[in-house]
Amino acid sequence: MLGKGGKRKFDEHEDGLEGKIVSPSDGPSKVSYTLQRQTIFNISLMKLYNHRPLTEPSLQKTVLINNMLRRIQEELKQEGSLRPVFTPSSQPSDSLSDSYREAPPPPTHPCDLGSTTSLEACLTPASLLEDDDDTFCTSQTVQPASPPRLSPPALAQEKDSFSSALDEIEELCPTSTSTEAAVAVTDNLKGTSSGASIPKPEGSQEGRTDDSKLMDSLPSNFEITTSTGFLTDLTLDDILFADIDTSMYDFDPCTSASGTASKMAPVSADDLLKTLAPYSSQPVTPSQPFKMDLTELDHIMEVLVGS
Amino acid sequence: MGQAGAFTTSFLEFPRVSFYSVLPADIISTVEFNHTGELLATGDKGGRVVIFQREQESKNQVHRRGEYNVYSTFQSHEPEFDYLKSLEIEEKINKIRWLPQQNAAYFLLSTNDKTVKLWKVSERDKRPEGYNLKDEEGRLRDPATITTLRVPVLRPMDLMVEATPRRVFANAHTYHINSISVNSDYETYMSADDLRINLWNFEITNQSFNIVDIKPANMEELTEVITAAEFHPHHCNTFVYSSSKGTIRLCDMRASALCDRHTKFFEEPEDPSNRSFFSEIISSISDVKFSHSGRYIMTRDYLTVKVWDLNMENRPIETYQVHDYLRSKLCSLYENDCIFDKFECVWNGSDSVIMTGSYNNFFRMFDRNTKRDVTLEASRENSKPRAILKPRKVCVGGKRRKDEISVDSLDFSKKILHTAWHPSENIIAVAATNNLYIFQDKVN
Repeated sequence: MLGKGGKRKFDEHEDGLEGKIVSPSDGPSKVSYTLQRQTIFNISLMKLYNHRPLTEPSLQKTVLINNMLRRIQEELKQEGSLRPVFTPSSQPSDSLSDSYREAPPPPTHPCDLGSTTSLEACLTPASLLEDDDDTFCTSQTVQPASPPRLSPPALAQEKDSFSSALDEIEELCPTSTSTEAAVAVTDNLKGTSSGASIPKPEGSQEGRTDDSKLMDSLPSNFEITTSTGFLTDLTLDDILFADIDTSMYDFDPCTSASGTASKMAPVSADDLLKTLAPYSSQPVTPSQPFKMDLTELDHIMEVLVGS
Repeated sequence: MGQAGAFTTSFLEFPRVSFYSVLPADIISTVEFNHTGELLATGDKGGRVVIFQREQESKNQVHRRGEYNVYSTFQSHEPEFDYLKSLEIEEKINKIRWLPQQNAAYFLLSTNDKTVKLWKVSERDKRPEGYNLKDEEGRLRDPATITTLRVPVLRPMDLMVEATPRRVFANAHTYHINSISVNSDYETYMSADDLRINLWNFEITNQSFNIVDIKPANMEELTEVITAAEFHPHHCNTFVYSSSKGTIRLCDMRASALCDRHTKFFEEPEDPSNRSFFSEIISSISDVKFSHSGRYIMTRDYLTVKVWDLNMENRPIETYQVHDYLRSKLCSLYENDCIFDKFECVWNGSDSVIMTGSYNNFFRMFDRNTKRDVTLEASRENSKPRAILKPRKVCVGGKRRKDEISVDSLDFSKKILHTAWHPSENIIAVAATNNLYIFQDKVN
């Protein structure tokens, strides 16, 4: 049953993922640490999103997985906080592959964050979204653009410019349908619980900015389906799963998770690592340039968000 | 040492007395002896409760003394559907707790994820005969044919055990119930879910008191859940609950109506040399049990069992490694979800030995006095009736001896999560997936 614990060919110094946990400060073993961390991160994401249970998933399990994801995100954020988080689109692919194969250069290297994997790079916009509320819609073109351009290994399909542009929009601003549905779902929750303490205030809807609405949709999802978790999963979904996700438009708390989950093939930790290795040798082209003008983006956002 | 429950050297030799298999499809989800040990209740994934009764000693069947036979079977919970959430509510019995016996009938609480039920199990071995208005089949008689009156008499009949639901405590838990515990006042009990604990009176089903609530105002801030809860065996105002972060809180209901502020807080500082990505997950406590004396609590997390003195909050007084060889396998165990398995732990009657389950149908016993421990296996192949159980050993590396099992050969689908210990004798019940094993100490 533990057959997946095979040796990883990637790094000779490593004795497989089951080896001793190394501190991030050692040289060559930093790669194994980050590799391990990345694998655990991927596994955690898969657990949250692949799960389509008939019964309510265990809250304890969900909380523990979310804590794991949070911790890893925190670590990544701390590692990334010493240098600019986003690599400009023109970042040469060489440095990416170089740093991936060898021991990563000291933290001051600008593409260090991106060197671990594209998934992490894709995550940084999410974590940024959590912090920098006011840079949401006015952020520089470059920032949200480049990470999603790096197609995540084994999980995403070919993007065309329209769906990628749509993803940009979805990533930056949740639609009003999702927040309405979130409110509806919260109301339902209130109806089902009795003798319990007051459910989350729906009144917290007022005075929210766009990004806060993003956060708002999460708690109610969390309560009902829990498979969406309460990290910024909406943005992650859009980045990871390139098909147009119509679950945003016909929001149903139970099918939204399955909508994304159905796009994922079951991937084992082994497969993920295998995909990471060949990926590192490919030139990472920040492919399609961000085609939408910033003003157009603003306009579309306004339309989607409503008044 | 003559006291039942105290182990001599013979505690390593455990013959099997009886072995029962419930329907193959049903996984046993809880096991519990009643307060005298005469009855053993099991709950399964299909919502059924099976009660075993111990054979009374009889002259002509001396060797059969101590065998448990099926006494009653009933369907406790049915699957339900929550229409608002579009999710099924499992009928799996999460916990059974007996009430102390106060009359001829037996009472137990059984719960699934959402609803607690009080069941009355009673015997009927006589039935009235000779009604005036009904005939023997129960049909009404034509009044014109009744010419005399007689008094109905009770005649013996074949023993019938019937179970009736006496109370249904529903609609009080938004989250999944993980524990129930009967208070020592025998009038109240508590039910705990992931975020809340409710206090019930047995007589009142439409209302309960919320005594613990750890739900944050913003669910996004949720990082910790309640994993188990239990009342103190003697002090009806005291209870403990454990969390997914490895902490135990002791609360006194006299302090306030809502016991969100604990009286005592038990937490062991993290061992920096053992830190890993999975430190938090493996520290999550899956079971908490007061000792019979009420002086200690025992907690089970993924790799260890710990005994805490109620008077010392900063660390446990004893820590026992259940299967430390799994420490290097945590990533795989995380991937296949085994790391979330919830093992239970039990005390023996004298609080001198503790027992818990592991994988590969292994279960472990630790003698707190002699510090000896043993690993035994619950399996049909390895146990013949009346045979003595052989201790097992897991080999962690290097040369494997003849009888040892290597870590990589362990079967992680065969897990022993639920065990029970007779309150006063050396009789244990071990649930291995869908098989129930009952073992008895060789000492006559």
